[in-house]
Amino acid sequence: MSIPLPSLDFEPDVVWRFLFSSVILEGARTTIIVAVLAQALGVSLGIASALMRMSKNPLLNVPANLYVWFFRGTPLLVQLLFWYNGVPELFDNPDLTHQLTSFRVAIFALGVNEGAYMTEIVRAGIESVEAGQMDAAKSLGMTSGKAMRRVILPQALRVILPPTGNEFIAMLKNSSLCFAIALVELANAARFIYSDNYKVMELLVVASIWYLVMTTVFSLIQAELEARLAAGVRDRPPTLFGRMTEAFGAGRTRLR
Amino acid sequence: METYGILPMIRCEDVHKRFGRLEVLRGVSLDVAKGEVVVIAGPSGSGKSTLLRCINHLEKVNQGRIYVDGQPVGYREVKGKFVEKGEREVARMRASIGMVFQRFNLFPHLTALGNVIDAPIHVRKMGRRKAQEAGRAMLEKVGLADKLDAYPGQLSGGQQQRVAIARALAMEPKVMLFDEPTSALDPELVGEVLEVMKSLAREGMTMIVVTHEMGFAREVADRMMLIDEGVIVEEGPPAQFFNNPRHERTKLFLSKIL
Repeated sequence: MSIPLPSLDFEPDVVWRFLFSSVILEGARTTIIVAVLAQALGVSLGIASALMRMSKNPLLNVPANLYVWFFRGTPLLVQLLFWYNGVPELFDNPDLTHQLTSFRVAIFALGVNEGAYMTEIVRAGIESVEAGQMDAAKSLGMTSGKAMRRVILPQALRVILPPTGNEFIAMLKNSSLCFAIALVELANAARFIYSDNYKVMELLVVASIWYLVMTTVFSLIQAELEARLAAGVRDRPPTLFGRMTEAFGAGRTRLR
Repeated sequence: METYGILPMIRCEDVHKRFGRLEVLRGVSLDVAKGEVVVIAGPSGSGKSTLLRCINHLEKVNQGRIYVDGQPVGYREVKGKFVEKGEREVARMRASIGMVFQRFNLFPHLTALGNVIDAPIHVRKMGRRKAQEAGRAMLEKVGLADKLDAYPGQLSGGQQQRVAIARALAMEPKVMLFDEPTSALDPELVGEVLEVMKSLAREGMTMIVVTHEMGFAREVADRMMLIDEGVIVEEGPPAQFFNNPRHERTKLFLSKIL
């Protein structure tokens, strides 16, 4: 007696054929550019809004609180549609509609959404730095802005970086939601191709491979950044990059 | 106040400081002459640390005036009224008032040398090379010539506090404020920090030191003060303060800590 195997309609050579196809590579490139720029916008907004949120002045902390409340409390998909479809509809201005390309709206909408999450991450980082650090910086004649830049933020960065890495990885993947605003990023590129040739599974595998490559490379970069920031605080196990560079005799001398 | 020439380096006039309902300083007046070393003792919570923090405007006074080198601290006199200074002006003033903290408060992300040269470069706008030279000399002076590249986390408490002193001195302050500089140290590390402070006093630095190290006070202080419940209870040369205190409160305090 033999159990009949279901016939698997999966052709590995199709994966191979499309892995380096120009549409897929172009999509992957768009994903990376959108994710990096949106994350940069999100980090900048997050720092500004965290500082505002920690201010005692209600003119600063109330808008920051509203910002976080709104953009954390509504779905990203709704926010994308809001900027891409809602805003042009509202203003009914052909010039504006023309300016609001998928690419621009994707970066803006993802960045603004990310800023709300980064606000909390940055705030936690800043609050993790002892109050005595601000006293010491001020006693040396720094204004609070300079103390923030030179003393508080560099220390806060150690606490901020790991969750920001998580956020960026989420960003790489969440950018696929931009299919809703007709952005041809990696996932949408795969969708375009399989809607034409019906090799659905193969193309989803292609997209997944590229997502895994991106997140893996980024994880390595993050580990290296964290190791550098740990200077003077604690020893960490050497990172893969660190071990590789040391193997080639280019390793930095480590203290202790 | 009219004769500028005899103005003391630090002058506090009737300083009051409240935290909510709690009045921590209740009218403190004192003068410290240029080159004088004043040691302030007192039970914890007596307001001595708060007084130091008011002198460089880390705390705002509620009433009274403080002058350092003739300049009102934190406030500016405009037509007989006192207006709080802008942040930049306050910062400029603080740059010439050195402060050493109980918990060192070194910047953990910078090396010992990095800690010492950061403010000279970014506040005083000194060239990096010149700042490094001066910073090295300063660390040498506190006996840490071999620890330039060590991070605070790799140093003992006594070494950290010496770096903190070097960091404050690198700004070439007119006065130095020490807020219980040895209280957080293991007993065997106290001596090395006190030695640095003694040599600083010998060089003629104007200093206010809040400490419980009465041996140090006896040896180095030009004047002793006891602060309790926000007022100066007793004040005088160390010999009189220790051997012949006038107030019961001082006798009680000395009997507890000596």
